[in-house]
Amino acid sequence: MKWLSLLTNEWIKIFSRMRTWIFLAIPIVIIIGIAVYDKATTDVEVNENWKQELTQTVKDDQKALDEAKKNNDNEIYIDMLESNIKQNEYAIANDISPYETTAWQFMKDMAWISIFIGLFVIVVASDIVSNEFAKGTIKMLLIRPYSRWKILLSKFVATLGFAFLMWLVVILVTWLVGGLAYGFGGMDQSYLITAEDGQVKERLIVEYVFANIGVEFIELTALVAMSFMISTLFMSNSVAIGVALFTMFAGNTIVALLATKDWVIYTLFANMDLSVLIDGQNQMVKDLTLPFSISVLAVYTVIMLAITFTVFQKRDVKA
Amino acid sequence: MTTHTLELKNLTKKIKGKTIVDDLSFSVREGEIFGLLGPNGAGKTTTIRMIVGLISITDGDVLINGDNIRGNFEKAMERVGAIVENPQLYDYMTGYKNLMQYARIMPDVTKERIDEVIELVDLKYAIHDKVKTYSLGMRQRLGVAQALLHKPNVLILDEPTNGLDPQGIYDLRNYLRLLANNGTSVIVSSHMLAEMQMMCDRVAIIQNGKLVRIDEILNQEDEADVKVHFQIEGDVSQAKQLLIKMNEELNVTESGQELIVQTSDVRSIAELNKQLVLAGVLVVGIQRKTKTLEERFLEMTKKGGDLNEVAIPVNE
Repeated sequence: MKWLSLLTNEWIKIFSRMRTWIFLAIPIVIIIGIAVYDKATTDVEVNENWKQELTQTVKDDQKALDEAKKNNDNEIYIDMLESNIKQNEYAIANDISPYETTAWQFMKDMAWISIFIGLFVIVVASDIVSNEFAKGTIKMLLIRPYSRWKILLSKFVATLGFAFLMWLVVILVTWLVGGLAYGFGGMDQSYLITAEDGQVKERLIVEYVFANIGVEFIELTALVAMSFMISTLFMSNSVAIGVALFTMFAGNTIVALLATKDWVIYTLFANMDLSVLIDGQNQMVKDLTLPFSISVLAVYTVIMLAITFTVFQKRDVKA
Repeated sequence: MTTHTLELKNLTKKIKGKTIVDDLSFSVREGEIFGLLGPNGAGKTTTIRMIVGLISITDGDVLINGDNIRGNFEKAMERVGAIVENPQLYDYMTGYKNLMQYARIMPDVTKERIDEVIELVDLKYAIHDKVKTYSLGMRQRLGVAQALLHKPNVLILDEPTNGLDPQGIYDLRNYLRLLANNGTSVIVSSHMLAEMQMMCDRVAIIQNGKLVRIDEILNQEDEADVKVHFQIEGDVSQAKQLLIKMNEELNVTESGQELIVQTSDVRSIAELNKQLVLAGVLVVGIQRKTKTLEERFLEMTKKGGDLNEVAIPVNE
């Protein structure tokens, strides 16, 4: 009948709550805060004499590398130093300043802000069904002339919409703040990566930024599906939120511990951080590729949604 | 022809092998107030939850306006309004926004209708306040308002007087009567006998998930239940013998200065009186008494023993 009205209702419920606005405000405040702090403390002189500065860094790194090799230090540490030295030498030779900040560079540097979005999306998604059970309002909703799956779908789409909206707002604010602070140019600006064969390569920052925006939508979808399932399985909202947050942190920790096992690539959490796969830097689990991870997330999302809708359809509501 | 708006056919609910509602069948007519009466745990709420689709049906069918909720839930629920137990509302929204939630998803609810309903439940003064500031009675009234928004022809209220003050109960009763007169079928559940007697046209008594019987409240001249009390001045036993001699099949009992005769025929009452007077017995009063719903309810649901020992919470 009027399914869109169900969606409107869910949307209104989300935005009638104070916490939603706080969740939106927190990343914005952080972004502005960081830009202001950076502007106030950056030493302009260093930026202008960056080649000198970088040459010094290369020297220091070289010293540390010799030391590390002598002591047989951790391989990852040695790799990191070698890669840093190569990148910095390449930067000096090709005149690419790592200190030159633009709106795009700022967006790349601020990409970690998506952690907050993930966190808040978990809270909203794991609350949206369980809260109605906890408060008993679900009864007033299920006695309407709508099949249960339609009601659940409206909640899922509303949560997903909220997650996407939040991400878009944060992207926009980051770009705007970055632009106002450092100028809106820099579309052709490059950054350096170390490829698997040890070669230093140039990549466009703007490419990374857009790829990151794209993969975050995929990550958020999987995250919403997971929290949404937990929200439907647990009828207390505090338990659901707790379980969802715990699952997220425990999942990441377990993947870190099991990173060397073959089967870890088939787990949900090993594939939850797509942004590291964009340029293959700082990749924790080595065998993953972007298409593979996206496929795994898609399969998990479908399974989790199937469980959610089946359980919700059959549940006896005694709240 | 009587139109039935709600029909239950052999409705059964089993949870983990335990039968909560057992083969329950009844029909509710258009424009009547129908009560579900039973002690706590009798299966009233479970029955209501099955009717509105909150819990699954183990066996049997529920038809609302001819549509089976098992096959055509959306159509069947279109003209149903309900409060199941307490009306739970969104505390973080105003009363008006709560109503808007339901107005939006029900067919044909205009802005005028919303205002009309608010007026009706007398919440105009607080409708733009957050529901978390509402008293229990105000929440109850807002619950009634949301149930009425879309002009349902089947209104289901589970324990509707919970939390209402006497004035509120009185108003609700009058309003439900008004709705019924306009053709709405109202189904209310309660364990409070007196209230049901005042409110309902018919009452189904339920115990252990089974239908015990259905009683008409306004027309309760059930033959077997009418007793005539003859108040006698003088020797009661002698008068009793006299009546028994006259008609051996007559069921006569003595009770103090009264003879109680079970009959409903008006003529035979007059005849009995005549015989008593002719025999010189002083009859100082004649009274026809029907059993109250309360007496019947307790009789039906008692677990043996004296009435006073019946473990039924009558007026909590």
